[in-house]
Amino acid sequence: MPVVDVDPDELRELTGHDEKSDDDIRADLFDLGIEFEGWSEDDEMQLEFAPDRLDRLSVEGIARSLRYHYGDDRGVYVPSTNSPEWTLVAEQTPEERPYITGAVVRGLDFDEESLESLIRIQEKLHATMGRQRAKGAIGVHDLTMLKGEAGRDGTGKSIRYTAVDPDEETFVPLDSDEEMTPREVTERHHMGSDYADLVADMDRYPAIYDEIGLFSFPPVINGRRTEVSEDSRDLLIEMTGTDQWTIDHMCNILCYSLSARGAQIERVTVEYAENAPGEHAGRTLDRPDFSTETKTVSHERIESIVGVEFDAETVIDCAERSGLDAERTEIGDDELAHEVEIPPYRVDVLHPLDVIDDIGRAYGFNALEPEYPDVSTVGSRHDRSRLEDAARDALVGLGFEDLLNFHMINEEENFERLGIEPDDDVVGGGRPVTIAQPYSEAYTILRTWALPSLMMVLENNTHRAYPQHLAEIGLAAELDESKNTGVAEHRTVGAVLAEAEVSYEDARARLQALAGAFGKGLETPPTEHPAFIPGRTAEVLLNGETVGVIGEVHPEVIVGHDLEVPVAAFELRLDALR
Amino acid sequence: MKLPRAQVAVLKTADANEYRTITDVATEADLQPETTTGAAFALAEEGLVTVTEETDESITLTVEGEQYVDEGLPERRLYDAAIAAGADEDPVDLGTLIGEAGLDGDAVDIALANFARKGYGTVDSGEVAADPDADSDADAERVALEAIGEGEDVADALAAVLGDDSQTDAQGVLDQLERRGLVDRAESTIRRVQLTDDAVTALMEGVEAAEEVDQLTPDMLTSGEWRDAEFAEYNVEAEAEEITPGTEHVLRQTANRVKDVLVGMGFQEMQGPHADAQFWINDCLFMPQDHPARTHWDQFALSEPDQIDDLPDDVVERVRKAHLEGVGEDGEGYHSPWELDVAKSLDLRGHTTSLSARYLSGYQEGELDPPERYFSVEKVYRNDTLDPTHLLEFFQIEGWVMAEDLSVRDLMGTFTEFYEQFGIEDIEFKPHYNPYTEPSFELFGTHPETGELVEVGNSGIFRQEMLDPLGVDVDVMAWGLSLERLLMLMYGFEDIRDVHGTLCDLQLLRDVEVVY
Repeated sequence: MPVVDVDPDELRELTGHDEKSDDDIRADLFDLGIEFEGWSEDDEMQLEFAPDRLDRLSVEGIARSLRYHYGDDRGVYVPSTNSPEWTLVAEQTPEERPYITGAVVRGLDFDEESLESLIRIQEKLHATMGRQRAKGAIGVHDLTMLKGEAGRDGTGKSIRYTAVDPDEETFVPLDSDEEMTPREVTERHHMGSDYADLVADMDRYPAIYDEIGLFSFPPVINGRRTEVSEDSRDLLIEMTGTDQWTIDHMCNILCYSLSARGAQIERVTVEYAENAPGEHAGRTLDRPDFSTETKTVSHERIESIVGVEFDAETVIDCAERSGLDAERTEIGDDELAHEVEIPPYRVDVLHPLDVIDDIGRAYGFNALEPEYPDVSTVGSRHDRSRLEDAARDALVGLGFEDLLNFHMINEEENFERLGIEPDDDVVGGGRPVTIAQPYSEAYTILRTWALPSLMMVLENNTHRAYPQHLAEIGLAAELDESKNTGVAEHRTVGAVLAEAEVSYEDARARLQALAGAFGKGLETPPTEHPAFIPGRTAEVLLNGETVGVIGEVHPEVIVGHDLEVPVAAFELRLDALR
Repeated sequence: MKLPRAQVAVLKTADANEYRTITDVATEADLQPETTTGAAFALAEEGLVTVTEETDESITLTVEGEQYVDEGLPERRLYDAAIAAGADEDPVDLGTLIGEAGLDGDAVDIALANFARKGYGTVDSGEVAADPDADSDADAERVALEAIGEGEDVADALAAVLGDDSQTDAQGVLDQLERRGLVDRAESTIRRVQLTDDAVTALMEGVEAAEEVDQLTPDMLTSGEWRDAEFAEYNVEAEAEEITPGTEHVLRQTANRVKDVLVGMGFQEMQGPHADAQFWINDCLFMPQDHPARTHWDQFALSEPDQIDDLPDDVVERVRKAHLEGVGEDGEGYHSPWELDVAKSLDLRGHTTSLSARYLSGYQEGELDPPERYFSVEKVYRNDTLDPTHLLEFFQIEGWVMAEDLSVRDLMGTFTEFYEQFGIEDIEFKPHYNPYTEPSFELFGTHPETGELVEVGNSGIFRQEMLDPLGVDVDVMAWGLSLERLLMLMYGFEDIRDVHGTLCDLQLLRDVEVVY
């Protein structure tokens, strides 16, 4: 979940509520679903919130939400924008990163805090919507350092987004004095190398030019020439990415923040050449796009979801207090509905339901009276889960301590330490389900049987009193191409008896009792299994079908687990008791 | 007269004319003192003996006390060495005297502390001056210690050495010795017995020992021999050998309690695959394919097998469309790529909502007929950091209700009812965000022991973008909760790794108290 550090004084200033104490602010934020996590080292509030409201990624965004919450603002707000002077031309752009958007921002009066806030919101947008810059990357430049190329008609100013040979062009990147090629930046620039993966597969790298030359290498790094400082008053913002909607909305969120700092937004023209890849080839876009969206929400649906009867005015009031606008309308046969207008910084409203959630929050969900749903159904346990419980009860009655082990294990524990190998034709010898990127070497596969887990518990409890009679009923899995998922999952019943004097017969006696309890005829013809002592190993046959193995565990396995007592064991499929 | 063997022995050993101590009687009769006491009281009840009691203090030397009896008290050895070195006239270097007196370790500190306390002299700037008038032979502590060593009466010994008019009282000296850890004092009850006239008469008439048996045997029962048998008394207060009972694992017990509650509330149990296609785990839940929680940082992807064989084509197409275009007239998609290969790839399920998705897809096949309630208490897998409260595998309680026109209030009412069964009251609902529910709520409850507010679950009403592609046209509300969190709340475990997994501690599991 995103965490944003916010200076409470800045919040008081931006909301115009000097009188609010830190505690007041914390309580107000909680009402918005924003949780105070603690104070940062710089005495800022660390605020955590769910990743839907990405328009709250900045102190300006949080201040805006608070002003609606306080009732200082109502309804949709759209800042005015000036007509475009600059053009962003997209020409022969890389196919892997075809899209660009942007804006010009004028009249900024930066101080340390507001510049810091601009840097932070970029980082937060990169981390969330931008998917670590893969989906969208932001470049902010000092406009006065740019020299626009004349447009095609000879007027206006333009910059050009295109693709370059990674070794042919050079520029001085941020935080460096050296002319480097884009490839050199990805190889040895301390910030550039962090994003090398994003361009690694590209033949030609993304690059943005003005008349002077290359000034930005998205999504990796900007050039030093256009670096923004506290003295910058006018900015050019460009965003490139793999999805136009995403970068347009990242741009909207950023422009709303800068506008809240008193800046004037100036639109730009985005001009896709005929040969540009992507869905906008040959089209011209006017950005940032501050047009609003509308959703039509049925009044009855609002009532049924919230569980309260509303009059239309309450709905409109709640919408306005959420920064939305709502107007009465009708759908179908005169059914009351609301046409709700959504501002351009909201990226979370996909469906009318999301509007209902906003209305519910503004109304106050916690004010609702819980009611038990008045519908009657009949409850029941699953057949398999009842069988598992009955078998567990029987084992407990036989004196076993019931255990619960992890399903994840590694090859060494599951196979080698029990003397078997994957694909051996013995109990436990299935081919294992393998995890692609395991958490650690201890958990690389799903276990094919339970005996290895039980042996590990014995190994870890040699300091505890004996006898240790342990049993587990749990999942075991192996590859099986005949299954839909390619995995055969079953519940296995494993049991070990560890104490100074214990033998095959002790295990046989208990298995006999278990089989008898489920009305199964037990036979144990001799067999061989590497985990058990030859001549003291048998197949478990229930009603004539082979379902498991029983025997005295081989001394090599016992010593291998650092045990000093004999162990007798059995393992069988749970469904054999059905 | 027939009496148990021990009582007969006591009767024959005790005297009619004088009171004899139980210890004496026991020694002479060759009985355990406890047995003798028991027999004496039994005889007293029969009016055959009288028993008197008095409290006695026994004083014994500690190991250190015995050492000082042999070697002399450290302060006295220091004093003697000082006198020998002429410290009664001119102060002598402390170091030299310690060597002379043969003191080392703690004995040095003990000697110095008591030297000054007893007025043997003064120690100043590392030099010792001895008081020539001090009489170390008449040291009351030394006298008392030696008297105890000899088994003599302390008060008598003190009077003999210090004179009757000495102000030194024996109790004060003993208290001091006890503080120094040189003696142990214990109170004991001394009991004495004497025969009554009835006993004398009985003895003259003849008293025999009844036969005592140790173990009741089948033979004795069938022969009737038990009628004349006298059963040897056991020490019924003694602890017996420890046995380890068979027990159901505490987390299974908790799971079963949850299952009982949910079945009681009308829920049916679900089951399904642990290794499943991302389609059922994520795509059906309207999680965009580039959602951060879908990377290997959160869920375990499988390398073998890596793809599900097949998925229902119609559902796949509707899910794809929901992701790309949204659902309904005003719906909007995710602006994220959607690939069938990703949907078909296999993961260990990160939640059991994959089971809910599979069950809900049965609605269009007529397998569900609302109203319906379903639940599962099954394992899920998360690539989280292992710590006392987080495991890579844990149990999730999953539940959902399908009915017409479900509201947020129905959701609240269901949880309030569920959590009350576990003593968790005053459930609070914090509006929250999940990709697959709207509205969504985090649930907070008050810890029954600590009163703390703790998160107990996550809930919501399934989005249209989840239900429509599954072919469901009625409302479904759902919730998820970690079983381990409930367990920790109920039992107060601090480290879940002691309970779940191969590192579990058998003793801890054996010591768990029953909760019902």
